[in-house]
Amino acid sequence: MAGVSLEGIVKSYGSVRVVHGIDLEVQEKEFVVLVGPSGCGKSTTLRMIAGLEEITDGELRIDGRRVNRVAPKDRDVAMVFQNYALYPHLNVADNIAFGLRIRKESKADIAAAVEEVSGILGLTDYLERRPADLSGGQRQRVAMGRAIVRRPKVFLFDEPLSNLDAKLRTQMRAEIKRLHKRLGVTSIYVTHDQVEAMTLADRIVVMHDGRIEQVGTPMELFLNPANVFVAGFLGSPPMNMVKARIVAGDSGPVAEFDGQAIALQKLPTLQNSVGQQVTLGIRPEFVTVAGKDAPDRVTVEVDLVETLGSEALIHATLQGEPFVIRTETVGQMEVLDGISGFTIEPHLIRVFDGKSGHALPGQVLEQ
Amino acid sequence: MSAGPDIKPGKPGRLERISDHLKREWQLYVMLIPTILWLLIFLYKPMYGLQIAFKDYSIFRGVAGSPWAGLEHFQTLFGNDQFLRALKNTVVISFYGLIFGFPMPILLALMFNEVLSQTFKKTAQTIVYLPHFISSVIIAGIVITAFSPSAGIVNTILGWLGVDPIYFLTKPEWFRPIFVGTGIWQEAGFQSIVYLAAIAGVSPTLYESAVVDGANRWQMMWKITVPSIMPTIIIMLIIRIGNMLEVSFEMIILLYQPATYQTADVVNTFIYRQGIQGGHYDLAAAAGLFNAVVAFVLVMTANTISKRYSRTSLW
Repeated sequence: MAGVSLEGIVKSYGSVRVVHGIDLEVQEKEFVVLVGPSGCGKSTTLRMIAGLEEITDGELRIDGRRVNRVAPKDRDVAMVFQNYALYPHLNVADNIAFGLRIRKESKADIAAAVEEVSGILGLTDYLERRPADLSGGQRQRVAMGRAIVRRPKVFLFDEPLSNLDAKLRTQMRAEIKRLHKRLGVTSIYVTHDQVEAMTLADRIVVMHDGRIEQVGTPMELFLNPANVFVAGFLGSPPMNMVKARIVAGDSGPVAEFDGQAIALQKLPTLQNSVGQQVTLGIRPEFVTVAGKDAPDRVTVEVDLVETLGSEALIHATLQGEPFVIRTETVGQMEVLDGISGFTIEPHLIRVFDGKSGHALPGQVLEQ
Repeated sequence: MSAGPDIKPGKPGRLERISDHLKREWQLYVMLIPTILWLLIFLYKPMYGLQIAFKDYSIFRGVAGSPWAGLEHFQTLFGNDQFLRALKNTVVISFYGLIFGFPMPILLALMFNEVLSQTFKKTAQTIVYLPHFISSVIIAGIVITAFSPSAGIVNTILGWLGVDPIYFLTKPEWFRPIFVGTGIWQEAGFQSIVYLAAIAGVSPTLYESAVVDGANRWQMMWKITVPSIMPTIIIMLIIRIGNMLEVSFEMIILLYQPATYQTADVVNTFIYRQGIQGGHYDLAAAAGLFNAVVAFVLVMTANTISKRYSRTSLW
């Protein structure tokens, strides 16, 4: 096993720079997910690690060895592609064995490796089938088999579940997680799906416009997003953003907006920011729905209540922008009928600078 | 008594479905009309004339008025040494063409695919495509000049090596290599376009995956590119086999002479001499029909074999 180190990694196509100096340390056996919207540079970064794209500047090390100019085959990495990249003319066994045959390993070793890997992935009954005769999930398993069979130091996954339907994606996500636990191979996984990132990662790297916005465990990023972009990207539904101004209240700082006020936690940074324009980040899950008579409530205009069974999504409007509330339904149906606003504990509000979008310092929400 | 609404039970009938389909897609059928007319006029209507292969055809009595002759012309054909020689030459020349000519466009496409310099690639492609657009008469003129014993480039080079001039185009043993070589020179480049298109359709991630697995360019060519374009190769092979007896008639006529009939005369040139020059239309029609039946059997056989063993077929 091996760690992967990226120091000031830059990628340019001609005069266009698409990755702007990335620094990242992936620890041995760690599962790191690069997540971000399309075009943020996550796949390019992964392809540079694989050796499929040249690195314009910076240092890439795998297991402590500088590999900037090392051929992909000599980096000891294996990659799983979005569209599986299975050879349509080969059956499952030959697809899995392809990398070993290229490396001229003995027939006995290849047969043993294929048997072991197909057993792990539940492909034993499909070894003679061609990719065209397999379902999407089975093809994805074969693609993973091809990666596993070489026993590489690092696994690279490039949006491997994007082509699967929602149900299969959930199932395969669990299989990948299980596989990582079993094999313990350092893994770097690229996705634009924040649910995949949250469920799979030991650490998440959120990327935007070729830069890293924040690195941390899923819960760190969920509870303490470093800026408005991360706050809006992670979480489903995403964090609600409310533009406000900090004023001094009787018992601490208060955020004012549209003639309404909401109490903030008594942190020195917030108390010293009186008069500052800020953006309040409010997670849909952190608020408590309130009826017309509830004191200290923030009033919203409710458009629609979606009941999903055990929970409900309340689609409302605040400051002319959508505001979503997620709440449990059990024992709440009466409240939901008369909902007109919400209340929230001050420490659950994340306060961002109104201009830079960065979280004001000192706010830490423990798990 | 009031009647309920007239609801048709079950699924619509076949005629109704066809009618609905035609109403919906009539534009497509309008576009199909010219092709169907072309097929009817130039391929199906002439089939009426095929019956003269079984008649004692007289140009004055016409097709319908000529008396039936049964299989007499076929018996004549198979008793005719010239026809049997032409048949043998057709098969041999086609076989050479298949062995040497069929792989050439594939090899060219594979080579073009490996060329990294776009300028060199485009220049080379233009050079090899060019002969296809030159008239066969000019191509034959170039070949005749090149192999001329007095001033031809080939004999000039041989002369430098101390070899006496060879009268290539009058020697039967040289006709087939020259003919097959000319065909390759004229058509291989253009035919490679089909394979280049097939190569362009191979997913780049297959190569990327192979690169990560450690494959070099040679391994990628043989283990990814060639198998990926195999369905195209097989389809082209079936078509080629179907046309096996259709040896390039123009080029043979332009290059052969009585001295090389022994190896150069093919079924089509035999038909031309018998039918057009000799006026034996019925015998020529019998030879043509035989040609067509053999081609039909060949293409059916090749398609069936391909379908069974490679899952690729024309239909």
